[in-house]
Amino acid sequence: MPSTRSTIGDFSILPISIPPLPSFPKPTTHHLYLRRNAPKIPTPDDSRSLFIINAPADSTRLHFRALFTALLGAGRFESVTFEDERKAASQALADLLIPAQAARLASHSKKRKREEDEDAQHAREEETARLPEPWSRPLRRSGGTAVVVLADEKSVEKALKAVAKAAKTGKYPVWGAGGVPEQDRTLGSSWIRSHVRLTYPDKAAAEAAVDAFFTVYNRREREAAELAKRLRSEPDEDGFVTVTRGGGRTAPAKREEAEEARRKMVEKAEKKREELSNFYRFQLRERKKEEQAELVKKFEEDRRRVEAMREKRGKFRPES
Amino acid sequence: MAANPAKRRKLGPAGEASMDQAISVAVRQPTTFVLETDELLKESRLDYEKTFEGVDDLLRRIKAAIESIEPHEPLPIADAAKRLKKAHKIRVPFPEPAPPKDSNYKLAYAKPDAFNVVGSYVSKTMVRTQDDRAVDMIVVLPRAVLQEKDYLNMRYFYKRAYYAAHIAAALHREIGATASLEYEYLHDNPLLPVVAVTTKRMSTKKSKKINEEDTNANAQPQAEFRVRVIPCAPDGYFPKQKITAAAGLIRSGGDEDKKTLHPPTPFYNSTLKADGSFVLYLRVLKQAEKTCASFGDACILGRIWLQQRGFGGAVSRGGFGHFEWSVLMALLLQTGGRKDTAALSPSLNSTQLFKATVQYLAAMDFCKKPFVLGQAKEALDAIREPGPVIYDAVRQLNLAYKMSASSADMLHQHAKWTHALLNDKLADQFTSTFITKVDQPSLMYDLNASLELPDSHTDVSPDPRGKLASFCTKVHSVLKRALGNRAQLVSVGTVALPRWTLSQHPAKPAESRISIHIIFDPANMSRQVDHGPPAEDKKDAEKFRRFWGEKSELRRFKDGSILETLIWTSTVPAEICEEIMLYILPLHLKTTANSVSLTFYGRGFSSLVPASPADPAAFAAARAAFETFEQDVRGLEDIPLHVRQIAPICAELRNATVNPPTFGTSKTAPKPMDVVIFFEASGKWPENIAAIQRAKIAFLLKIGSLLEEAKRDVTTHLGLEDTRSELENLAFLDVVYESGAAFRLRVHSDLEEVLLDRRTKDKTLDQHTRTESATLLSEFRRLYTHLPLHTTMIRTYATRFPALSPTIRLLKRWFDAHKLTVHFPPDLLELFALHVFLSPHPWPQPSSATTGFLRVLFFLSRWDWRSEPLTIDTSSQSNLTPDPDNNTSLSPPLDPAAASTRLQAWRNLDPAMNRVVLLAATQSDPAGTAHTTLNGHPAPGKVVAARMTALARSACRVVREKGIEIGAPDAGRQLLFVPSLNDFDVRIVLDRKVLKTAARVWEGEDAGSSSAARGDDVGVGLATRKFKNLDARTGSMPLPVGTHPASLLVEQLSRAYAGPLVFFRGAEDDTVVGGVWNPLVQRRSFRVNLLGNYKPAAAGGGGGDGDGDEDMEDGSEGEEEDDVVEVDREAIVAEIARIGGDLIERIEVKGQ
Repeated sequence: MPSTRSTIGDFSILPISIPPLPSFPKPTTHHLYLRRNAPKIPTPDDSRSLFIINAPADSTRLHFRALFTALLGAGRFESVTFEDERKAASQALADLLIPAQAARLASHSKKRKREEDEDAQHAREEETARLPEPWSRPLRRSGGTAVVVLADEKSVEKALKAVAKAAKTGKYPVWGAGGVPEQDRTLGSSWIRSHVRLTYPDKAAAEAAVDAFFTVYNRREREAAELAKRLRSEPDEDGFVTVTRGGGRTAPAKREEAEEARRKMVEKAEKKREELSNFYRFQLRERKKEEQAELVKKFEEDRRRVEAMREKRGKFRPES
Repeated sequence: MAANPAKRRKLGPAGEASMDQAISVAVRQPTTFVLETDELLKESRLDYEKTFEGVDDLLRRIKAAIESIEPHEPLPIADAAKRLKKAHKIRVPFPEPAPPKDSNYKLAYAKPDAFNVVGSYVSKTMVRTQDDRAVDMIVVLPRAVLQEKDYLNMRYFYKRAYYAAHIAAALHREIGATASLEYEYLHDNPLLPVVAVTTKRMSTKKSKKINEEDTNANAQPQAEFRVRVIPCAPDGYFPKQKITAAAGLIRSGGDEDKKTLHPPTPFYNSTLKADGSFVLYLRVLKQAEKTCASFGDACILGRIWLQQRGFGGAVSRGGFGHFEWSVLMALLLQTGGRKDTAALSPSLNSTQLFKATVQYLAAMDFCKKPFVLGQAKEALDAIREPGPVIYDAVRQLNLAYKMSASSADMLHQHAKWTHALLNDKLADQFTSTFITKVDQPSLMYDLNASLELPDSHTDVSPDPRGKLASFCTKVHSVLKRALGNRAQLVSVGTVALPRWTLSQHPAKPAESRISIHIIFDPANMSRQVDHGPPAEDKKDAEKFRRFWGEKSELRRFKDGSILETLIWTSTVPAEICEEIMLYILPLHLKTTANSVSLTFYGRGFSSLVPASPADPAAFAAARAAFETFEQDVRGLEDIPLHVRQIAPICAELRNATVNPPTFGTSKTAPKPMDVVIFFEASGKWPENIAAIQRAKIAFLLKIGSLLEEAKRDVTTHLGLEDTRSELENLAFLDVVYESGAAFRLRVHSDLEEVLLDRRTKDKTLDQHTRTESATLLSEFRRLYTHLPLHTTMIRTYATRFPALSPTIRLLKRWFDAHKLTVHFPPDLLELFALHVFLSPHPWPQPSSATTGFLRVLFFLSRWDWRSEPLTIDTSSQSNLTPDPDNNTSLSPPLDPAAASTRLQAWRNLDPAMNRVVLLAATQSDPAGTAHTTLNGHPAPGKVVAARMTALARSACRVVREKGIEIGAPDAGRQLLFVPSLNDFDVRIVLDRKVLKTAARVWEGEDAGSSSAARGDDVGVGLATRKFKNLDARTGSMPLPVGTHPASLLVEQLSRAYAGPLVFFRGAEDDTVVGGVWNPLVQRRSFRVNLLGNYKPAAAGGGGGDGDGDEDMEDGSEGEEEDDVVEVDREAIVAEIARIGGDLIERIEVKGQ
């Protein structure tokens, strides 16, 4: 059934027909919502990319390539980025890698700008430090978003037109057709089996990733230590010297000692207080008064509770 | 007793003192309990005006009718009865045995001596929930028609029956039009037929008037009350010294004057005495009311307490009802204390009176020793009876004459339980004492059975209660002796006697079955060998042999003693007890085994959980495997840090899985059991959470390679967690033994907790990061603190309560059956089960899985989790032994008030219950969320928790309706364990075969290969294995499967469709996944970041729905009215079908 509408808000609607499966033998339609990409923080590729809502949960790059090939013809599709991937990318490993102290210091010193080649090197390091993914094909969140980058601006224009046409004529592109290999159209047991296998990576590879991680981590820590040293001796542009802690941190053993000392102090204070209470008569009187008030308070509380119970029906009726 | 007077003296005042103390404490501060009981009294008081509208008028008419009866001269008994029948068509309800036709007794009629209204109508102590509201009116037989010797051979009762028939005739004539008349036995006592007048619907005019009043008041339907007209003997007419308990007054041998020994007839005698003391007791009660202001209220409390426990004045209901309670209390206000002082003070308030009376009942065992109130003038022999005795010395009557040994036992136990409860400050005393319906056999007893009265049973004693009653007594005494200390309580009961119309013969009991209920003592019930007396002790041995028959055999034991011994062949505790019953009953009831039709209820559930005797062994084997593993790890030498502890955290290692753990073979994949490892505190951990996680991987790899080196039969696999963040635990180590035992090891780092805690509390970080840290921290604590403690706790209690482990397993089976399991952490279900063991009030701890399970359901059905937290207090041992002296607490008790406050705070903070739904506070986790939240989400969520409550409620309703039948084979399973799949909007049927293959994955298999090529892959895997020394069989063991493929699929689906669809799934072998559309997420106005798959709403529906919340991203120019979208259900289902692929056989959608 051709949809009655072609747009919603500033999004175009692209219905996609879903072929039936033996387990659910009913042809259905899925709705994609597209518009030109206009993120809050612009990127160079914005003009030739489309922003998509409601990407199917089983979306892959292949699916989207096939979809846009069907709409625009071959060679127009460049790449697709899914919501969760963009999030993961923003949480760069590098930021987590900085030892705690270095992170604190970085906020003090005006950091010099990272150089291009250094960034590239970091990216390489991160790649080796990353652990393998346990899923061969992650599921997308249902109703999630994606950004599709096409060959050029013209393609975006054409794509939107093709979408409008498809919606009007009722000739919907088919999901998972064309370039998608047969076995990738459904996930099923092979997907689960591959997950079980991927859960257990090669030990050597895991070890290498851990080693790579600690290479970077140790270098950072060293750098941070050096920075701390430098900051201790060098005044900044206003002439102030930053106060930093010496080296290392308190070991757990020392922490325990500190805890013990604190406990002793509290005990001492407690004892002192104890000695001085009930020393004067007024203290005794006040204590008695307090006790009485406490009793009254408790009684009030109880009454309130019973009141609340009464409001709930049946609390005071013996069950039959 | 007399041999040791010092001891007695010591015991007496101690009891008094503790009571005094309790009373003075209660006086000083009114507790919640007092306030609650006050409220209860207010609620249950009856509006007498309304309920008994017109009763005075009716009573007057009855009196007039009776007074108008024409007296007549003595007539032979047969003639008199015949005349009555002829004139009024009314049969005289002569008690059994009916007088012989040729008897020359003479019956006369004269005007009654007096009329009086007695009972709880006069004292105004009826309650609303009482099922039988009757006004008792006594009619005193005139001395003129009686003779002193009438106490013999039922003569009095024949006269009384004749009198009753005359009254019935008169009433029938006078008020038969407006009321219906029936005979009934007073308190099911077949000697005492009375006339019951039940008001009919009132005349239209009158009822209209009342209905008009009623519609405003909206009270219960216009009451139909009853008036019982009770003929009785004049006060003190019969010589009491002649009708003592030991006297035999039914003399069959014709000649009455001969001093032959007649068997004593205590029940007959007491009935005779009681029939002459209505007015006496009325005076006693009036006196008590006058002296003690709160006497009436205490009577009402007693009535409710008895009523909730199924007690009543009728013989079939235990013979201890409101009347006995109030007389006992009235007498205790006068006497009963030391040196004949009053036991109770009239200045006590109603709750104190109630508590003290319960304590009295708990302290006294009427069966063992006659309990005499006041100074008895008679010898003890004249008081003692085979049954229970509460002897009122002044009125020379055994108040407990209607009780049987069984019911006295039960009353004693109930009083003991309630007494223990009232001393337990942390329990909900009020609800358990007065509100809960205790008398539900399937919840209360561990074993329910019924027994047919065999035809061959003959009554030797002339007990007027009939064959069935004497049969009950016999069965009770046999079972009590046979089970000994295996049972805490043996109760044998019958059904009530019905009423019958005026023209019929007296009613017979409706059925000839008796019901047997037993509460076991878990400590003793599993004993397979019973030791009797030694062979040298000829007398005892002979007695023992006579009781046990051929079963008893002489055996010589290791310590040289030669004892009479019984050997039972069953292995399961409950079966041993059944075996004993099946052996001993036919032996003593003198019937063949076949003719005793003993039916057991309560074993029907056992087939649901494979509770074979091998189970404990399987769990023990898992435990042993764990211990081996622990030793192996501790034995490693080159680990950089010293191992402090290895703690199990999985249900297999705390005896709490539905199926006992079986170790994988080469055919099935090993299922790893979760454990965590703790190292000594170290300063070497990097001060960065991500780095700590990596360091843990290094640790695991090290442990893995060391283990593989040290132990030949161990394979290890490093596994990755399915995580989103680098801050979470990243990896685990699966250690697989050749035997099939597998463990999943995770490393604890103390610094991680410190860092996470610091990150959570760091105010300079943004809210999102802090929330994330808080979630990670709670997960950390759950994994490394709460779960190890929980495992230890459950293990400890599983040994202490043998029924706990099967209860947990049955409960988990129920959650599986209803597909709720995926939403509940297993530890939470275990806490539910533990709760009914730790606070079993008002019952004792369950000692069978069925009882335990039904009580958990009962608890769940009543748990108002919206406003009540679940508190599980493991600090006090008081609930183990009801003895208050043993009330030593190990750690500070958990404060239930604190948990309530916390729940209140959560509800204020999060009224929609998005973060916390259930709150379960334990000793180790007073905050109460460790077991009810997972990854920052409530587990279960609100919808699921509500579903649980609804299911538990309907289950409890079925249990109530079915009574003990629920335990019959199949009934329990079919009624409680079959889910109604029609409830689910979507049903995903998984393919069992594909699942099975998906669960077995071998190392080295090509990631892209399909399952068809598996055989080859194994070969490849073997060829490329590093360890040449491992043989082919080891090499072909599949990779461990921590999560079943179906669970993985459901997990992934739930993650993808967190908004619109909620999935339900039970056990691993459950192949149907249920899905319910979330009713809150249906139609939405369109925007970015909607959860779930949406399609534009159908044009017609999109009227004005959308303009409510128009929060479009970056201001849309096309301000259309109908930007409404709705959940695209079909597209979602189609997506699921694609994701499930060959795992899904078919998807059924509701309504298609």
